Amino acid sequence: MNYMPGTASLIEDIDKKHLVLLRDGRTLIGILRSIDQFANLVLHQTVERIHVGKKFGDIPRGIFVVRGENVVLLGEVDLDKECDQILQRVSIEEILEEQRTEQQAKQESERLKLQAVKERGLSIPKADTLDDF
Amino acid sequence: MFRFQSFDDDCTLEEEEGLGEEEEEIDQFNDDTFGAGAIDDDWQEQHARLAELDELVRDDLPGADDPSSGDLPPAGSNAKPSPLPPPSSSSRLYPDIDERAGGDLAESLTRLILGSDPAIAGVGTASSDRSHLPPKLPGQTPHPSALAGLSPLQLSYQHHQHILHRGPAPLSQINSHSIWENNMGFGPVNSGLVSQKEDKTLMSIIKEVGLPNRPPKLREEGRDLSERVPPPRSSSPVIGSPPVRAVPIGTPPKQPMSQILNQQNNHPSAIHVRASVPMRYPPPFPERLSPNNLLSIANSPLSHSPFPAGVGPVLSQIQRAQMLNSQFHRGPGPPLLQGGIGGFRPFFGQSGPRMGPHGPPLSHAPIRHNTTHLHPQHRRMLNQRMQNRGLGDHVGGRGVGDRKNRDPYSNLMTQREKEWVARIQMMQLQSTDPYLDDYYYQNYYEKMEKRQERDRDNRKEHTTKLITPQVAKLEHTYRPVQFAGSLGKLTVSSVNNPRKMIDAVVTTRSDDEEKREKQVWNKRRQILYTVEKMYSLLLEVQDFEKKFLQTPEHQRDALLEQHKTHTLQLYNSLREKEWDDRVSDEQCLMIMSVRKGKRLISRLLPFLPQPQAAAVIMGIARNLPALAKKDKQDQVLCWLVEPVTGVIQAMSSTSLTDLLQELQGREGQLPLVLQNKFGVTLLYLILSEGERMQSSDPNCQLMDDNRWTELVFSVTRELLKVPSSALSSPLFTPPNLVSLFSRYVDRQRLELLQEKLQITSLSR
Repeated sequence: MNYMPGTASLIEDIDKKHLVLLRDGRTLIGILRSIDQFANLVLHQTVERIHVGKKFGDIPRGIFVVRGENVVLLGEVDLDKECDQILQRVSIEEILEEQRTEQQAKQESERLKLQAVKERGLSIPKADTLDDF
Repeated sequence: MFRFQSFDDDCTLEEEEGLGEEEEEIDQFNDDTFGAGAIDDDWQEQHARLAELDELVRDDLPGADDPSSGDLPPAGSNAKPSPLPPPSSSSRLYPDIDERAGGDLAESLTRLILGSDPAIAGVGTASSDRSHLPPKLPGQTPHPSALAGLSPLQLSYQHHQHILHRGPAPLSQINSHSIWENNMGFGPVNSGLVSQKEDKTLMSIIKEVGLPNRPPKLREEGRDLSERVPPPRSSSPVIGSPPVRAVPIGTPPKQPMSQILNQQNNHPSAIHVRASVPMRYPPPFPERLSPNNLLSIANSPLSHSPFPAGVGPVLSQIQRAQMLNSQFHRGPGPPLLQGGIGGFRPFFGQSGPRMGPHGPPLSHAPIRHNTTHLHPQHRRMLNQRMQNRGLGDHVGGRGVGDRKNRDPYSNLMTQREKEWVARIQMMQLQSTDPYLDDYYYQNYYEKMEKRQERDRDNRKEHTTKLITPQVAKLEHTYRPVQFAGSLGKLTVSSVNNPRKMIDAVVTTRSDDEEKREKQVWNKRRQILYTVEKMYSLLLEVQDFEKKFLQTPEHQRDALLEQHKTHTLQLYNSLREKEWDDRVSDEQCLMIMSVRKGKRLISRLLPFLPQPQAAAVIMGIARNLPALAKKDKQDQVLCWLVEPVTGVIQAMSSTSLTDLLQELQGREGQLPLVLQNKFGVTLLYLILSEGERMQSSDPNCQLMDDNRWTELVFSVTRELLKVPSSALSSPLFTPPNLVSLFSRYVDRQRLELLQEKLQITSLSR
């Protein structure tokens, strides 16, 4: 039966594998099991996927209940297309390591930039004075 | 046993209390908790069983093609009357678990008494390769009804299970590590064992300590866990607020929802969704059933159950299990099982493939039994089976169907819940005026429809259209609560009736007054409007000079023309249509009555050609008394002096005489004129001009007729007559008045005049 045609309703997406992007930047992949009117999601057999460059790693997380307001976007995963991926799957430890390295590199560059800017007498407001993310 | 009996006593007590409506709802929950629904879900139990099953499958995969053995552990576990505790069967099949089962007297006893749905576990174990829950998956059956369906005993057991399953936390991760690979959820072998061991220790501890005294807490727990009912609101009074709902609008439905829905649906339920609504299973049984009632009812249909063939082999399994479990005290188990629901359920708990032999009897009559007493997952399976059958009938969606069949967690969200969410979403689309609320969507949709019609003219298919609920606009006037005999109103407000702070009362004046006032205002507005328009023209005219100098040679003619038309227009606006020469009194008066108008005229006069200007001044002179009266507040008539002077000085003698005549006009006008500064000034101007004319030009025609002389005489007479107080001082006194008067009056009068008017030959 066709629930609410012409609208963006998640009812049709139930029991299908979805990729959910959260506001804090995490990517979750899980089977959407239940929703409610706030688009709170219940994800089953959820996996948090961390992407670094061309590599990615999956951390199995189990069941997720996501509050609707924290979802940026979500979409159904095409199981056929999922098989042929350009990205390379690595182990969890490796991807976490990669992520750490990337974070460090980013922080380092940020620091250098800040320093350069300071030398020139300018100032960039820190992130914590701005909005959340 | 005694303890459990006391629990039962408590249950009945609770049921017998006469409770209010809200509490009735809660009571209903309790009934499910303690009564009929007690048959249902014990997810933790089932979960444990599945975990064991997981173990089983991993342990003896070769032996796993005996589905019956797989069925048994779940089959026995949940039936209330059934005497099949899983440990017993598992003890037969899984030797490693035996010790655990053996030592777990309390656990099995609780299982016994509570009874749970064998089919639930059957869901998970229907096929050997079904995915198995890692121990840490309590969310598998997230039904409020599931929770509601717990008896206090079950709750206590659940509590134990909580303790049990707090242990194997990392298991889930390890288990689900391979989930994506084969969607099977097989985990490492040792994981299950770990859980077993932990269970064992914990359970042994509990066994030693004994079951904690739970009855008082159980009630709360039952309430807390069931239905997610929040505590009744203490702060919002009934006055002015919507009725307090026991279950707020936001809670999802529990399974037997129809009653609650009816109670709670206050909003207009005009939801027309063209998509077909699937048939609900109408409960042929009353919602509230005590276990005894239920069993007795269930007995009858099952006695002539349509699946005699199916029941048979299953019963044999159960009987087999019974024999095995004879060591445990069953009590009312076996007789109930025979004709009871317990026997009914294992049938449905079987796997898909097993449905084969039972397909034919089912297909011809899709019988909707009362499924409310069933475990929700069981019901889900039923629905799924129905759906799949339906699917198989007309659509060859085998692939999807297969996948769905294999996914044991599908349809966690029941049809009812989906509809509930859809309904809420539809509620948000309610609108009394869709073109007002959602203009762009409406237009877009119309365009799309037209396009579709154009494109799909040949094809007859219609895409389903979302019909949003059309709600009649209801006026909710807020009438504040008022007690008789009290002053003022209560300020009780809620979200739905926000407080009305001010009692604004509209006072309407009587019609006549209003009309008059309106007329006055309208007229004034009109005058101002005219004045504004004239001003714009005037400004054009005034700027002409500048423009003229700026424009190049060849365009100057055109500009000149334009200028002429402007001036003409200006003048035209002052006069009536019929009278070419006369300035429209009414219009002039109107304009002059407004300060702005006076200013306008004063600026306008220099630009008008002489005859027209003269006409204007005539008009002014004619109406001077009225104007003077109107000018009392503003006192701006004197702005006119300068331009008027200019005009007068350019006047001919006849027009001057005329002017003087106009000024004198009717009887009694002159005194009024004299009272006004401007009037006096004007008079003096006229007189002085006349004098100038006479003295300068001996040929002037001023004296040709007697008018001038007469007029002057009358003026002098008036001047002498009028008391000094009534005579206002002019802006300036022209010097030649003396000579003027000396012509016409004798010395005595002249002196008087001089005195009065304070004119001396020396004064200015």
